[in-house]
Parts: sequence; structure tokens; C-alpha cells
Amino acid sequence: MATSMLERLGRQFGYDERSAALLVLPVFAVLMVVAVYPIIYSFYTSLFDIVLTRPWRRPFVGFGNYARIFADPLFWTAVQRTTVYTVVTVSITTVMALFVALLLNEAFPGRRLLSALILLPWATPSIVNGLMWKWIYDPGYGLLNGILVQLGLLEKYIVWLGDPDKTLFMIANAAIWKQMPLAAILLLVSMKSISNDLYRAATVDGANVFQRFLHVTLPALKPGLMLVLVYETMISIRHFDLFLIMTQGGPGDASYTLSWQIYVETFRNLKFGIGAALSYVLALATFILSYLFIRGFGSKA
Amino acid sequence: MTVVRSSKLSRRGFLQAGASGAAIAAAGLPGGAWGQAAGVNFTSWSAAVDQVKSHISAFEKATNLKVNYENFPWAQYRTSVVTRLVGNAPMDVLWVSDAWLPEFAEAGWLATIDDMPELTKYNAEAAPFCTQSMLYKGKQYGLAYYGDHMSFVYNTEILAKAGITTPPTTWAEVVQQSLKIKQAGVVEYPMLMALAIDTWLIEFMSAMVFSHGGRFVDAAGAAIMAEPGKGVIESATWIREAIHTHKIVAPGAIETSEINALKALGAGQHAFSIVPTYRLRALNDPTQAPAAGKLRPTLMPKGPNATASATCGWIRFYGMTPGAKANATRRANAVKFMEFFGGKDTGGNYTLQKLLLTDVGLPFCTTPLSNDAEVKAFWTRWAGGGDVIAQQAATAVKKDVIAPWFGEWNETANAAWQSIFLNRATPQAAAASMAAKWKELRGS
Repeated sequence: MATSMLERLGRQFGYDERSAALLVLPVFAVLMVVAVYPIIYSFYTSLFDIVLTRPWRRPFVGFGNYARIFADPLFWTAVQRTTVYTVVTVSITTVMALFVALLLNEAFPGRRLLSALILLPWATPSIVNGLMWKWIYDPGYGLLNGILVQLGLLEKYIVWLGDPDKTLFMIANAAIWKQMPLAAILLLVSMKSISNDLYRAATVDGANVFQRFLHVTLPALKPGLMLVLVYETMISIRHFDLFLIMTQGGPGDASYTLSWQIYVETFRNLKFGIGAALSYVLALATFILSYLFIRGFGSKA
Repeated sequence: MTVVRSSKLSRRGFLQAGASGAAIAAAGLPGGAWGQAAGVNFTSWSAAVDQVKSHISAFEKATNLKVNYENFPWAQYRTSVVTRLVGNAPMDVLWVSDAWLPEFAEAGWLATIDDMPELTKYNAEAAPFCTQSMLYKGKQYGLAYYGDHMSFVYNTEILAKAGITTPPTTWAEVVQQSLKIKQAGVVEYPMLMALAIDTWLIEFMSAMVFSHGGRFVDAAGAAIMAEPGKGVIESATWIREAIHTHKIVAPGAIETSEINALKALGAGQHAFSIVPTYRLRALNDPTQAPAAGKLRPTLMPKGPNATASATCGWIRFYGMTPGAKANATRRANAVKFMEFFGGKDTGGNYTLQKLLLTDVGLPFCTTPLSNDAEVKAFWTRWAGGGDVIAQQAATAVKKDVIAPWFGEWNETANAAWQSIFLNRATPQAAAASMAAKWKELRGS
């Protein structure tokens, strides 16, 4: 029986297909172990009330952890903070990246050097980025206060990260500084693929520079923009390192985002069940947003 | 010929060698009886590493026992250790913070040492608050690594410039003197406070509350933190007014970590602050701090309801795992190790305790050592004398919020403190949210 099935498979798939499957098998097995299994297991974990400091108990609660999350006012605070942070970071990153890409798409002396230099923030490790900006924002000796006071824009040093009204935006600024270069390069690559004939035709039709941008560049950039929006949203919604280094969720709950809540519940409160459930909520939100972006940009994109 | 044959590995030989290797590895794996009987598995956070290593060498030489020493950064220590404990990793002795004792004890990760007279005999020579900090439900879970308390520190030069001859004894005087210093134009923000969500925030706030004659919870463990006159609301109000009304504390205090505060204090930018006593050495070290020699401890100021100065004390201790205690050999080795490190060494001396003080500045729990000539010289050199420190240490009270749910409660408390300091919530409302969380966790 088994032999006949193998024979049938052998007849159905040629030597090349079978060889390819055999070669892919080890990678597939590794992926199953290191990626698929943990994803499934973490969902399984989210169905239990697991608290590491109470190792003698592990009650099955079904979707109880999810119900607890949605009933927790702190979760909705985290959702609000995450939404504001993501909207600010993604929109400003995308707009700035578009301008930078437009600039780098023009021919001028030193363009190649500028293209390389502009990638430096992206190459900076996240931890270094967070520490650097924390230092820049310091209310006592920070560079930002120093410059603004020297320029006469501020009378005295002010508190940046310690002010709940400013905190999220200051962290977003640090994130934009790091993420914008990659977004710009991705958009630049898309721009390079736009045929010059389209611009020549538009010019012949009397289109000015803004009209060429609106009617030629932007439509052709749809795939690139979608990529940037999806990527930046996924990065921003899950951002954690800057919050850990710069504010630890504070002051008060001013920077208490979803990823911070996951960290607190999992690694500080050691509630692995709740932490896993929160992670699944965040993953689902990321998936839905990405799907909406892809739908919103149409099938051509 | 023989050499050639032996260097050639047949398939059968390879498999045999592999199987033997696996067997040896399995036996020698951490957790295997072979590996554990050889010595002591000691886990700590990455502090005083050089001093610990040198003492490990001395221990190995004196006892002929091998120590497997591993350390993790403090920030990841609790999570790392809990993960290892849950996974039954081989651990015999570990450093424990007093804040984790209830949850570790409840989880069955720490063994009691009440039945180990070799260790409990040191209680007779330990400061009472140290021993109390290692007790949970009446049982003792370790031997002290170090014990410290929050100290009120003032800058002699700044006070002199403002014409102030004696440091403040009450919180009202702290305000008065700060305003005088501010008006004299000596410094803008005389009082330095590190109010960032940081490791020390709870010790810092506990010191404030205790110095106001208050407590967070009553003797039965019920929350009294939201009740007026119990210290919490009064302390929080004092800090809020210091920032927003008197402007003697910088508004940036909300994001000032302890490390940054130490730098500012060491630079001579502030007249008063509250610091862990073990920081005094670095603060008065001219190679590290420009204000060295001018920063002196005085007794913690009193609040209006307090009858005497009080502060918050804490300890870190050597704990033994139940796994080590259950095995006769491992238990014997762990007891030897804990005694050598947390008690006296084989020479009958408190060697490590003295070394940790003189090298790193870490105060000890061992009262007889206070009379040691080198210890006295140390305090004279780095703090202008040890009398105030000894006097304050005697008033140290352990954190009364230490409970199995402390960590989770502290998350709420941190946000509540900050909302008060930011003037976004009244001390009463914030204290009520802390009390409600305490009640919820205590009842769950």
C-alpha cells in the first residue's frame, strides 16, 4: 500500500520536484520548530492562567485572559497611546521619506554621498538611538534645550520626556529619525522604476512640477508607499526598545503602549498567559492593519 | 603503525565514542548528580564581581570545593533566575532581594535555614532589621549579603554659602533652608530627587513615608496608604509642593534616574538629596565627584507626625534552593558556602563583608564590624564619620509593602506616584488607587 502510494507520488512529481522538496525539507523542518511551533504554543499558553511565581497552578481559562484584557482600563489606555504613536510615527516618516526620496531622485553633486550618509541613522542600533535621544532631551544638560536656549527660542531649559503631553511625540521623533532613511530608500527605488517617458509626455501636455508629482509620481509610487506604510506600521505598533530606554511607560502612563504592557505583564509580573494573549491581540491588530493597507491601495499596488 | 591505526576512526568507533561522550555529557550536565556533588552552583547579579571572585578563590582554596559562579545583569536578574528556577536548573545558592522573598518562598524556590544552626548563629550579630528582612511567615530564608538604608545627604559648601550652619531636622526645615539657598542665588533647585520609574523609587518613597511617621500597610497587612495622617499622602504632598509650589525640586526630577541624580549631586549642583548609603563612597571620591568631601549624611528629616527620624532599609541575601537542601552533599556544600560568604570565613573573620564595604562601599548587617578600626577609618574618610550612619541604620525599617504581589502592586504605585508629582492627580486620589490595587491583589 505504502509502496504504491510512493510510486504514485513518484509518477506525479518529476525528479526535479522531488529533489527540490528534499532540499527544502530541512529548512521547512527548522521553520516548523523555531517559528510555527512557538506561535502555536504561545496561543496555547494564552488559554491558561500561567503565573511563573505560582508554579503549582496552571488553570485552563479558555478565552478568559482575552476577556480580562478587554475589561482592563489600562489596556485601552495602551491602545490609545499605541494608536497615537503609530499614526504620528508612520505618517511623518512616510511624508519625510517621500520628500527625501524626491530630493535624492534629482541629479546634483554629492548625491551618492548623501544617499549613503542618510542611511546612518538606520544603521544605528536601537539601544544607542534611544540612549542618544534620551541624552539630547535631558532637562538638565540636553542638547535640545541647549540649542533652543542659545537660539533664543526658549527662556530656560524645559522637561521633554517628563512632560506627559510631549513624551509620546518626543519618542516618536527618535523613532522617525531612525526609520525614515530606510523608508526613503525604499521609495527611491520605486521612483527609479518610473519611466522618464511618462514625465516627458506630461511635460509635453503642459503639466507643471506639482501636476507631474500628483499624476505621474504618486500613482506610480503606490507599491512603494504600500510597502513603506505596511512596514512602518508593523514596526511602530510593536515598538518597544525606545520605550524601555527612554520612559519605561512613564511619566505616569503617558507612554504606556501595548508592547510595553506585554513586557510588564510577561517579564515583570511574570504572567505568561496574559502576556501571550496580549501578544496575540497585537499580532491580530497588525495583521488587520496590514490587510487594510493592502486593500486600500488596490490590487494594482 | 599503532599510531596510524589509532588515529583512524571507524564508523563503529565513531558511534561508540559518540555514545560515550553523550553519556559523560549527560552525567556532567548541570543538574546531574555527578556535576552537583563536585561543589556549589552560585548565581548572582553582576555586582562586586571582582570581590566575589576573589572570595570564591579563597573559598575553593579553604574547602577544596569547586564553585560554579554565574552572574546576570541586575535588570534581567529576577526574570533569569525565575526562568531557571521554573526549569529546575542547577542552583544551590543565589542572591535574593528582600522584595522577592515572599513570592520566591510561596513558589517553593527558597529553602528555610531555621534548621541550620551553622547559619542562624549569625543572627545574634546581625542588625535586627536585616534578620527581619529575611523572615517570611516566621521562617528565615537566608544569610545577609549586605544591608543598607536611605540616607539624607547635604552639601556643606552650599549650606555655608547660604549662611546655614546646621542641616535640617524636619521636612519643613528642608523647605525653609532650600528657599533660603534659592534666594541667595546659590543653586536654583536645592533639593534633588530621583523620581523616575527606577529601581529605587519604592525605597525612596518608603523612606519619605517612614520619616513622616507613617506606613503603607498596618500590622495585619491591610492597606492604610490612602488614610490621611498615615504618611503616604503627607509625603506625596510634600514632594508635589516642593516641585510645583516652592520650586525647590527641578521639574525634571520626574525623569531623573538614580544614576543621573548621583552625577548631579556629585557635581555639587544640589544642596540636599536622599541616596542609598552605599553611594556615599563614590560621592565623596574626588576622582568621581567634584563635590567630594562636601557631601555628608545627616539624620532623615522628620515629618510633622513623626516622633523620631526613620528611614527605609533593605537587604540582599544568600538564599538556598530546596533542591540543594534536599541533597545531603549539596546542602553541606551550600551551608559552607553561605557561611563563608554571609557569615565568617574559615579564619573566623567577616572578611567579605569588610571587603565589600572598603572596596565598593556596601554596608553590612554585621554589628560587631562597626567597631573595626578599618571600618571606622573608611567612614571617616568617605562620610566624615560613621556615627550618623550607625544611628540612622538603627532606625531603618524594612519595606512594609513586601508581599507576594509586591511587583505587580509596584507597577500601579509607580504610575500613581508620577501622576502626583506631575500634578495630574491629587495625592488622595493616587493613594486611593494604590490602596485599591493592594486590596485587589491581596484578595485574589
